[in-house]
Amino acid sequence: MLKGDLNRRSFMAASAGAAATSALGWGGPARAQSEGPVRIGMIYSKQGPGASIGEYLQRGSALAAEQAGNKVLGRPIELVWLDEPNPQVSQQNMQRLVDESKVVAVVGGNYSSSALAMMSVANREKVPLILTGAAASEITGKNCSKYTFRTQATVPVQMQGLMPYVSSIGKKVYFITASYAFGQDILRASRALLKQVGATEVGVDEVPINTADYSSYILKIRQAKPDVIVGGLVGGDFSNFLKQWNEMGMKDRIPYAAIAVTDTDFWDVGPQASTGIYIKPWYYNNPKNTAAERKMIEDFRKKYNQPPSDKTWSGWIGMRALLESIEAAKSTDAKDIVTHLEQWKNTEGEFPFFFRDWDHQLVRPAVIVQIKKQITDKWDYFDVLKNTSASAEETEKAFGAKEEIGCSLPSL
Amino acid sequence: MLDTLVSQAANGLVLGFIYVLIAVGLSITFGLLGVINFAHGAFFALGAYVAWQLFQLFGWGAVIIAPPLVGLVGMAVEVVIIRRLYGKEPLLSLIVTFALALLIEAVIRYIWGADGKPFNPPPLFSGIIELGPLLITKYRVAVLGATTATLLGLWAFLAFTPYGRILRAGSRDPEMVELLGINLPRVLTAVFGLGCMLAAIAGVLAAPLWTVSPSMAANAVMPAFVIVAIGGLGSFRGAVVAGLAVGVVTSLTIQFWPEAAAGSMYALMFAIMLLRPRGLFGERWERFE
Repeated sequence: MLKGDLNRRSFMAASAGAAATSALGWGGPARAQSEGPVRIGMIYSKQGPGASIGEYLQRGSALAAEQAGNKVLGRPIELVWLDEPNPQVSQQNMQRLVDESKVVAVVGGNYSSSALAMMSVANREKVPLILTGAAASEITGKNCSKYTFRTQATVPVQMQGLMPYVSSIGKKVYFITASYAFGQDILRASRALLKQVGATEVGVDEVPINTADYSSYILKIRQAKPDVIVGGLVGGDFSNFLKQWNEMGMKDRIPYAAIAVTDTDFWDVGPQASTGIYIKPWYYNNPKNTAAERKMIEDFRKKYNQPPSDKTWSGWIGMRALLESIEAAKSTDAKDIVTHLEQWKNTEGEFPFFFRDWDHQLVRPAVIVQIKKQITDKWDYFDVLKNTSASAEETEKAFGAKEEIGCSLPSL
Repeated sequence: MLDTLVSQAANGLVLGFIYVLIAVGLSITFGLLGVINFAHGAFFALGAYVAWQLFQLFGWGAVIIAPPLVGLVGMAVEVVIIRRLYGKEPLLSLIVTFALALLIEAVIRYIWGADGKPFNPPPLFSGIIELGPLLITKYRVAVLGATTATLLGLWAFLAFTPYGRILRAGSRDPEMVELLGINLPRVLTAVFGLGCMLAAIAGVLAAPLWTVSPSMAANAVMPAFVIVAIGGLGSFRGAVVAGLAVGVVTSLTIQFWPEAAAGSMYALMFAIMLLRPRGLFGERWERFE
């Protein structure tokens, strides 16, 4: 019974094929909806390392629809959620949403690489896409698109907020970043700022994504004796790093600073290993949260018995912007939605935030937070230090002028 | 320079031991059953989760119960699914176990949620040991000890017990073993359970080092496959030597040529495969040729 035609070669070939699974999309003519439910697509991770982030994003988007009574233009909202496992499949799923589900718009995209792939479909099929996570500059920079909007602050904007804190800790900086678009963006942006804040680079490691063990990197950092680490690791990789950083007794020796982190990175590793200064889009326990945000937190707590993460906020604000724009447009026509997203403005806070009409970037400060000295609550890990900018003018300036951004949008 | 070399090499050896433990289970399942178990990583994660759950209920002692429990789950899976794959096209076992991996991951997410679970080393093993240029954490030393004990126990079991002899004989000549009146299907169920239990031991030991999340095995399973290929399919000794080699090579590349860190173990595999296609300690087995 054991006599199969197994050999080493088939084992090798089989091993190599492990990662090569993909889903196929079905083609079909696209047709706009004019009656019945309004279908809105969501592309968030359902499996793999991004599953937890995907779940918080999805819950945020779904909550926004619920808060609107699950209705827009008096018609019921129907949400269709597909996976974001990698750029190829995300792109295919975007196509499926358009072809099969005939969605009027899509909210989603946590990873820059997937987001860029999804944008090409949005552009070709003329379907509005609101990206709720991706931070790489080019999304609203040189690759910007008329049909794409983005809620997350770009890497350079977040680094500008972080670097003054970094240099106040110490002048010798060591970089440990993920070796893909996002990490490279961080490295580029922070190197440009080093001189400005009077700091120097003492080492850099660009770590392949999905690295499980960081002990060798941590030994290197230890030898280089930096004053502070600037990190650009993401999700599970970042959590693993934090855990091993603590394990190797470095937690209280060299401070760690990073951008675009999310609450789950820390909830996953626990208080014992959590440390550092970070920039994130939003924090649930921020006294400056608006009334609508507090209502969202309350509704989320009622439903899930825990506070929302910043990803929930991103998913929520993206869906809100879309629904409010559809209402304002009084239409589900793509061009009308895009026009009204460009005019959409949230005036609930100290000063308004909005999608800039010439690059579709959400212009809104991020928050700078620090891990608490003593974490006593299961969810509340951070002290809010301040926002990355304090006024409307300062915020607009931080997001850069038209010449620096390099985006030129065609007309509809 | 020498300090750096020594410190990274030692670190690599310790890391290698963790990889060895993951690889050995994989190697046994393949060597004795002829099944490429892509769900090995899922059992690794399951081990960590069961340990986490038991820890919440009963504290540290209970963590030891987790691997045998996962072994039982593995035996059930063998009876229901894996048994149908013996002697079939290897691609089939690949696809089925890959699906199984996805299923187990989904079940973990369903039961425990998509969020990771904080899991720290026991207080007894937290802290570091510094000896000249060497820096090793107490927990990694403990992992080293636990891995060595597991491997020695396993070796003794396979080499010296009658049961181990049946296993080895069954993998070579199943018909003869059955003719001798031994209930081979039951033996094979136990082998698969043993492989899953080893995966779970690795998962439990890795839990304080790597974030416990449903897909935690994704990053650890690839090195394990590489190690099995380098060491020779089904070779116990091969897995140990290859695991340590991969650990040291990875560590040293990160230190001296970081750009190549991701590719170093594959380069090692490539070189070994060219020189010795059967792997370092791969034997010539009738049914593999």
